[in-house]
Amino acid sequence: MSLKLEDVTYTYSPGTAYEMHALEHINLEIPNGQFVGIIGHTGSGKSTLVQHLNGLIRPTLGRVLYNGEDIWKEGYPLRELRSHVGLVFQYPEHQLFETDVITDVCFGPKNQGLSPEECRKRAEEALDHVGFPKEMYEKSPFELSGGQKRRVAIAGVLAMNPDFLVLDEPTAGLDPKGRDEILDQLASLHKTRGISVVLVSHSMEDIAKYVERIIVMNHGHVAFDDTPKKVFAHYKELEKIGLAAPQMTYIMHALKEHGMDVDVTATTVEEARDTILAALGSQKKNGKKGAEVC
Amino acid sequence: MLRDITLGQYYPADSILHRLDPRVKFVGTLVYVISLFLFHNWGYLLGTVFLAVMIKLSKVPFKFITKGLKSIFVLLAITMVFNILFTPGEVLVRIWKITITREGVAMACRMSVRLIFLMIGSSLMTLTTTPNQLTDALESLLGPLKKIHVPVHEISMMMSIALRFIPILLEETDKIMKAQMARGADFESGNIIQRVKNMVPLLVPLFISAFRRANDLALAMEARCYHGGEGRTQMKPLRYQTRDYAAYGVLVAYLVCSIGLRVCGL
Repeated sequence: MSLKLEDVTYTYSPGTAYEMHALEHINLEIPNGQFVGIIGHTGSGKSTLVQHLNGLIRPTLGRVLYNGEDIWKEGYPLRELRSHVGLVFQYPEHQLFETDVITDVCFGPKNQGLSPEECRKRAEEALDHVGFPKEMYEKSPFELSGGQKRRVAIAGVLAMNPDFLVLDEPTAGLDPKGRDEILDQLASLHKTRGISVVLVSHSMEDIAKYVERIIVMNHGHVAFDDTPKKVFAHYKELEKIGLAAPQMTYIMHALKEHGMDVDVTATTVEEARDTILAALGSQKKNGKKGAEVC
Repeated sequence: MLRDITLGQYYPADSILHRLDPRVKFVGTLVYVISLFLFHNWGYLLGTVFLAVMIKLSKVPFKFITKGLKSIFVLLAITMVFNILFTPGEVLVRIWKITITREGVAMACRMSVRLIFLMIGSSLMTLTTTPNQLTDALESLLGPLKKIHVPVHEISMMMSIALRFIPILLEETDKIMKAQMARGADFESGNIIQRVKNMVPLLVPLFISAFRRANDLALAMEARCYHGGEGRTQMKPLRYQTRDYAAYGVLVAYLVCSIGLRVCGL
């Protein structure tokens, strides 16, 4: 299974004064089981890009292929595609509408034509995955806190059992604890269910910690598409397009400049700790004081 | 799909019509509408020429202007049918009980031309004037009503907020619709009852978001000490310039011509 974009171009309001090219000649392939991060600053075309993945918008030019089939071909079952490729929008809690949490999460499975028992089972599984407490299933979604609402909304998409889960800034506006919890749960979902996760974000720290591949968007183009370490090696270019590498990258480069033999590709705090300790260890062996260089 | 609504959509361009004082354009539209109802025969030629010149001056593509006509198509069709069928006069065709008269056909043509010109004329105003300018013009033109305690400022403030919120709510609708479609919602198929039912997942979040936005806006206005129109000044007060007086001159001339044609019975 894979999702593929071939030479996709998308133009908003073509032929009017408001014409705007959101995407230009995008070529991408997302294979099954990958954890991908898409980054880019506001207006770089990230949100437009992800809406192409489940056929919510039709490319002005180019093709979108799911398992090698053109999804805009005459008679292609788009609704079925949307249950394979789950898309969680930005601020997804704004889409909640049912009287209680469990019914809201059942909305997706119900649209897939499942029996009420099956729906309930799927909903409970999904809510469990996002760490939503059982005793709150019957509550109105409007009484919940922001973080809990977000979980319910993500579960609403997850309950459809998608093979690809695309999330547009799932942590925007959450506190650090809620953010880490949701991202950890996504990572564990990726591991246990083996589904592909596409995470749109502009927080480098989030991306660095979880994903195995980063796609950097800039002005509707793909600027970089590689493993995090390789992408962050271009931290100077990233700055030019209004982004920044994770803080660890800067610290590592600064240490390197001061003559410490650290691995500059370390992006998370843990990796940084390991490489600093290793560097300090080898310096001690060489009879140098670590404190001198620090 | 939801963005294709012309009425009340500003088309940015740099033309004499865009630069005119919104009050002039407002009065101008009013004069034009009145003139449409004064015309009899030759007057329509004057109206057409006037409109054509204005379209040319506005630099708005003709395609844009006619977009709004689609929405009045049904109204237009009904008006034509009624006029053709129910105007008494010299009979042209008679099929069973239905008679078509000469006067009926003439009346139908006249009415449809009036409606189309009216639509184009008012679209031209909204295309060349931002909603904010329009409400400013309205507030200024209705100013005298303050003497009889009509809350003119409040009315225009409500209007500008309402206008401002149309695109926001449209965008919101689009977003929620897509979000629910991503969850397998179907807004297109089914019979009418089914379709109405399918709207619930769209309408509930939309209402909630509208109330939330209204609440936020009210708070933001309070925080900026908004207290109504009393003693309030404007950032860009409307001031007439030479070209505006010239435009008024043109309007007066146009109105006099229209009345003249009517009086002469042409």
